[in-house]
Amino acid sequence: MSAAARAHPRRRPVLAVDVVGVLNVVGTLVAYLSLAPLLPAAVALGYEESPWPFLAVTAIAGGLGLATMLATRGDHRLGIREGFLVVSLTWLVAAAIGAMPYVFSGEPQVNDLVDAYFEGMSGFSTTGGSILTDVEALPRGLAMWRQFSQWLGGIGIIVLALAVLPRLRVGGRQLLEHELPGPEIESLSTRIRDTARRIWILYVALTAALFTILVALWATGVDDEISPFHAIAHAFTTIPTAGFSTKANSIEAFAPATQWVIVLFMVLGGINFALMYRALVRRQPRTAARDEELRLYLALLVVGALLLIVEIWTEDVVSGWSAVREGVFTAVSTMTTTGYSVADYNTWPALALMTIVGLMFVGGSAGSTSGSVKVVRHVLLGKILRREIDQTMHPEVVRPVWLNRTVVDERTLRGVSSFILLYIGIFILGALVLAIDAARTGLELSTIDAVSVSASMLSNVGPAFGVGGPLGSFAPFSDFSKLVMIALMWMGRLEIIPIVVLLSRHYWRSS
Amino acid sequence: MKIFIIGAGQVGATIVEALHDEHELTVIDLDEERLAAISQRYDVATLEGNGASRRVLTEAGITTSDLLIACTSRDETNIVAAMISKACSARTTTVVRTTNPEYLEVWREGQLDVDFIVSSEVETAQAISKTIGVPAARQTDTFAEGQVQMVEFDVTEKADSSLIGAPLREASLPPDSRVAAIIRDDSVVIPRGGEDLRPGDRIVVIGSPAAAKQWGELIAPGTGTVRDVVVFGAGRAGIAVARLLLEQGIGVRLIEASRERARDVAAELPAARVYHATGFDADFLERERIADAQVAVFAMRDDMKNHFAAALAKVHGARFTVAIVHDTPSQEVFEYAGVDVTVNPRQITAEEIVRFAHDPRTQQVVMLEGDRFEVLDITTKRDSEYVGLAFKDMPIRGAVIGALVRNGRAVFPRSDEVLQPGDRVIVFTESSRVPVVEKAL
Repeated sequence: MSAAARAHPRRRPVLAVDVVGVLNVVGTLVAYLSLAPLLPAAVALGYEESPWPFLAVTAIAGGLGLATMLATRGDHRLGIREGFLVVSLTWLVAAAIGAMPYVFSGEPQVNDLVDAYFEGMSGFSTTGGSILTDVEALPRGLAMWRQFSQWLGGIGIIVLALAVLPRLRVGGRQLLEHELPGPEIESLSTRIRDTARRIWILYVALTAALFTILVALWATGVDDEISPFHAIAHAFTTIPTAGFSTKANSIEAFAPATQWVIVLFMVLGGINFALMYRALVRRQPRTAARDEELRLYLALLVVGALLLIVEIWTEDVVSGWSAVREGVFTAVSTMTTTGYSVADYNTWPALALMTIVGLMFVGGSAGSTSGSVKVVRHVLLGKILRREIDQTMHPEVVRPVWLNRTVVDERTLRGVSSFILLYIGIFILGALVLAIDAARTGLELSTIDAVSVSASMLSNVGPAFGVGGPLGSFAPFSDFSKLVMIALMWMGRLEIIPIVVLLSRHYWRSS
Repeated sequence: MKIFIIGAGQVGATIVEALHDEHELTVIDLDEERLAAISQRYDVATLEGNGASRRVLTEAGITTSDLLIACTSRDETNIVAAMISKACSARTTTVVRTTNPEYLEVWREGQLDVDFIVSSEVETAQAISKTIGVPAARQTDTFAEGQVQMVEFDVTEKADSSLIGAPLREASLPPDSRVAAIIRDDSVVIPRGGEDLRPGDRIVVIGSPAAAKQWGELIAPGTGTVRDVVVFGAGRAGIAVARLLLEQGIGVRLIEASRERARDVAAELPAARVYHATGFDADFLERERIADAQVAVFAMRDDMKNHFAAALAKVHGARFTVAIVHDTPSQEVFEYAGVDVTVNPRQITAEEIVRFAHDPRTQQVVMLEGDRFEVLDITTKRDSEYVGLAFKDMPIRGAVIGALVRNGRAVFPRSDEVLQPGDRVIVFTESSRVPVVEKAL
């Protein structure tokens, strides 16, 4: 019998996880989150649409959240163990709240439960893949809710990546922790509330900056399309590198100047927010300049963009400045796992498609809003392999792995290797299941399409190739395939481990 | 001079032996037997007690002393003893022995109220690096805790052609270095930039360790500088040796038997290649071609292990072996086994400390060409006639300042650099002029 069970005899003795405590936390989060639909409700009122689908969500989710909170009141032991369950459940529940307005609004494109849940998960996981076939037909309020859910998901991810996952000893962020010396950053990582507050301010500031620039472009007549509504809608989904758009042809609808501004902010969204905070707010740009992850991140963006430009230019898809713009935009959008598009790359040559799939596996920096493997893990994997090769010839050599002038401990290195293996394993499994299911339902899905859908979902990019392409929709997939994609988005968002941990018997038992 | 010595161990005893004739010594130690052994052999006062106790020190009359040497095997005791005596008696010069390089660093930054610190590890490392040094050099020596190196070369026909014939100010010489003297046909020239180098000259160069190495390559291109030194044992001594060699641009392989220690060292010295292995594994020695190293240094704690490993390395073909020896009798055993050089840290530390008793202002003296020339390490007085002068304006009196140490950091002065009081200067001069130079500075 565990110590917990002895202290709380009313609980079942075999369970070592304080599930009631977890429900209490999740209930609290739901109660807070139930306020979120008030924003689209206001938008709906402004455009003379019905606010009731949103107010209903606030009432139902708020009621459920408060009821859960009250029912589970009491003394709880919330530790690392409970953290995994809280994190995993939070995203599932958030996606459900995200789905509710679609269902309640009776919008014909998303009133199926699985479709709505897909859209909700794609929102809160900042993936950006959609089952909508005609985005512009959505009521304004619902369209804004879609964008806003990604913005909320983004801030959730940063707090998760910078404050929660390090405590659970997973995620890329713990790699970066000791590399930020100085008391101010120490406390930034040790106190969740402080971290969340500072990063939140930065997040809001970046969003506001992008919104201001976009509106300025509209006001000065540079881009007539990016009206204040579209400006706020895209500010909401650019900073969290999310990718939902209120335009049917995504960013292609906007002027080149707008596209370049969005490129810049996607790049910023893919940078470690703690590092950005240091460089911008604390005025310590040198730390950022020396950061190995940031350097490789920027280098890979450049390489990816160059590859795409050369591939589309030499194959005569487009040429000149258009090729440069489309190449850079697509590379940045894919690698930062945003998922906007300025061109339908379904028509691009095979080499370009392979480059895009490759970029899906890169991701942004740890501690950013981007998904995927993340650059720091690639940095470390490279170093691990180099050491492995050295030690093959010289087994006695002791060679620590360095990151930003500090030694990375061996446990973390093992964690990186296992994460990447798990990532690849789940990606392959996902592609396989999707391909089989497509064959079963008679959906036309080529090998690279299946591969791209699995990679895109797991990396939280959004669009893929084939039917799920930049101008397409995931609606033709079967419900089962959609559930698989939802699972992939969910796992990718939470960096896999917190979810896989739940499958272990040892997680639930004290022995 | 009235000198207090805290600690009557091996270092203390060696110091007593060197100083007892000329000075009035008081030896303080906790161990009665050690004190008895010393007082039987030498005419010195002994006191049983804790040297780091203010009561003991004042009772022994610390206020009347000129010099306090704290040389127990415990760093903290030494530092506390020195600080207490400094507080009780401001005129007492304090010298502290330490085995921890960190204290040396803290002291250099002016954070420890101690006049001088002698680190056994650093002194030992310097002694070893001197024997390895620059292969082309006739003689090398280090100053200012290894930050400044003096090297004596013979210029031959083989020297890099850019060096020969052109006036020194036009030749592209290694930065952070200067030719302190050209010895040509028994006469010495102190170059001011217009002189040129000729085959047959003998030159004295003062500069940074890296510059000294570059000079070696210029003087004898292709003879190869030392690139590969294997150090057995990554204890404090081994690390100090490795660090000093790495600072000189020499590649170091470190072999350490403890896994944990090896890991720590690899993190501490990223430039070194660290192996987790023992020096007793013939397979390992063969596989890693340990014997191909130009020099093998044995710095393990245990003399017997060093002995065995050195002999094994010799069997495998090691060319030049240097061993750290802790017990005096071991020295003979090592030499019998064919070890080329043995270094005894305690003896070296004692010798270094004894120097302070002679003239506390002059920290180090090196003799060149028999005793014709000397390189001195002197701290400038406040009222020195040179203080406040730029180097280009200083009168030449058969001496040249090769480097100076300001706030613990070596500076290789340009001609418009101004000498400040309290600067430590590394001066080359003829032995006959030493008193003049010491007085002027």
